[in-house]
Amino acid sequence: MNARIGQGFGAVGAPVVAVWRHGWAIYSVFAQVVWAIVTGAIRWREVVRQAYLIGNRSLFFITVTLGFLGLISVYQVASQIQRILPDFTMMGPAFIQLMWREFAPTITGLMVATRVGSGIAAEIGSMVVTEQVDALRMCNADPVRYLIVPRTVASAVMLVMLTIYAVFVATLAGMALADVVFNVDPSTFVSFRLVTTADVALGLAKALSYGFWIPIVAGQAGLSATGGSAGVGWATTRAVVSSSFAVILLDFIISGFGYVVLNL
Amino acid sequence: MIEFIDIHKSFGPKHVLRGVSLTVDEGQVLYLIGSSGAGKSVLVKHLVGLLKPDSGRIILDGRDITWLREDEFYAVRKTCAMVFQNSTLFDSMSVLDNVALPYRKHHRLSRADASRRAREKLALVHMEHAARRFPGDLGDGLRKRVAIARALTLDPQFVIFDEPTTGLDPVAADNVDDLIRSLRNDTGVTSIVVSHDLRSIFSVADRIAMIYDGHIRLDGTPDDFRRSDDPVVQQFINGRPDGPMKI
Repeated sequence: MNARIGQGFGAVGAPVVAVWRHGWAIYSVFAQVVWAIVTGAIRWREVVRQAYLIGNRSLFFITVTLGFLGLISVYQVASQIQRILPDFTMMGPAFIQLMWREFAPTITGLMVATRVGSGIAAEIGSMVVTEQVDALRMCNADPVRYLIVPRTVASAVMLVMLTIYAVFVATLAGMALADVVFNVDPSTFVSFRLVTTADVALGLAKALSYGFWIPIVAGQAGLSATGGSAGVGWATTRAVVSSSFAVILLDFIISGFGYVVLNL
Repeated sequence: MIEFIDIHKSFGPKHVLRGVSLTVDEGQVLYLIGSSGAGKSVLVKHLVGLLKPDSGRIILDGRDITWLREDEFYAVRKTCAMVFQNSTLFDSMSVLDNVALPYRKHHRLSRADASRRAREKLALVHMEHAARRFPGDLGDGLRKRVAIARALTLDPQFVIFDEPTTGLDPVAADNVDDLIRSLRNDTGVTSIVVSHDLRSIFSVADRIAMIYDGHIRLDGTPDDFRRSDDPVVQQFINGRPDGPMKI
């Protein structure tokens, strides 16, 4: 009987302990990154290189994804409007507001989490299993400062840039579809009358926080890789799942704070 | 002097080291041998803080370094360098930048000063001609030499070589053996060499320690090993496939 109770507690407790350890490991990397940034221990040359890899190399990906999102969203919304009240005046302004508030930062964040998060975890994970991270430690180069801090700074900056670009691409795609399919004049569609400073601030705050957390979560997954190529594979999978989850969670927290607490 | 005292280390359910005690004297070349997965690399990584023991102590020149923090280990790593099994050069950096990295990180030298000193170390291993090349352009033997140059940048008192001749052709392996010998003879460096290479072991070692089943099976001179009547030792040093060794 006691053995069964013990097994029951074990079955419940083991995942809780695993989640706690995982969370603590991510928090530990987060604290080191913040400390490095506060103390100015940033390799700016590497930040520029990473900004190019994270930002410029994602442009095509973001253009395609957000372009299609703009087309599909506007088509669906316009189809409903056409059936109920055939007045498209507010469609463009509401679409642009929604892009700023929600879709541009979050979809861009999820895209970067998959593309960049997996790359970071695979690169750092490979360095761990081939002992390059140990070699860095032997050279007095802290792996978090050396590998994760430049990626975090670059990703935070570039995700803000990519989000602004994403709004532009989605609006352009939506405007073109509205014009061609529903005969909505571009000057009617592209209107910022519903977009407030708070909407833009909320969207950019989300982008900044996603950009900050994705390399931390993915980098921690890479640093915890064990074994050989299979271990790197698992680390990469964990990085994509965890960083995508982080984006959704941060979206929930920041949106809740913005809409409920600040009443935006 | 280096002392490992009753070191235990497990990875999950696998108890790799089960109370290893070993002393390495100043200026000695100690070869650590044993089958793959016996825990040789695990043991030496404790010396430079890349792993922490579950229990036991590590004493370096009379100082207990077992539970130093990561930042405190940086001082230890200045005196105790390590050449890794896979060379572990950073592919995105030139050979010169790889060797200059410890100068820039440990001594905070400028890029120019670090590069100048790095060239001197590359000359020691006859690799100055490859300074501007990238590690990916070099063969295994040359990469190993660069890795040794990087390990020697801070003029360490102790050097750990983790399987330095594995995967090298006989000539490249002989070059590495010569380097280990000349380090001992010319600069008095104490070396711990993790190796399976029987030819190197018996031509370079001052002392050999064999790890088997989580313990030190035999610790002695090359002659002690040749004369040993322990069937496990004899099976290993003669490379016999059949015998009492658990694989």
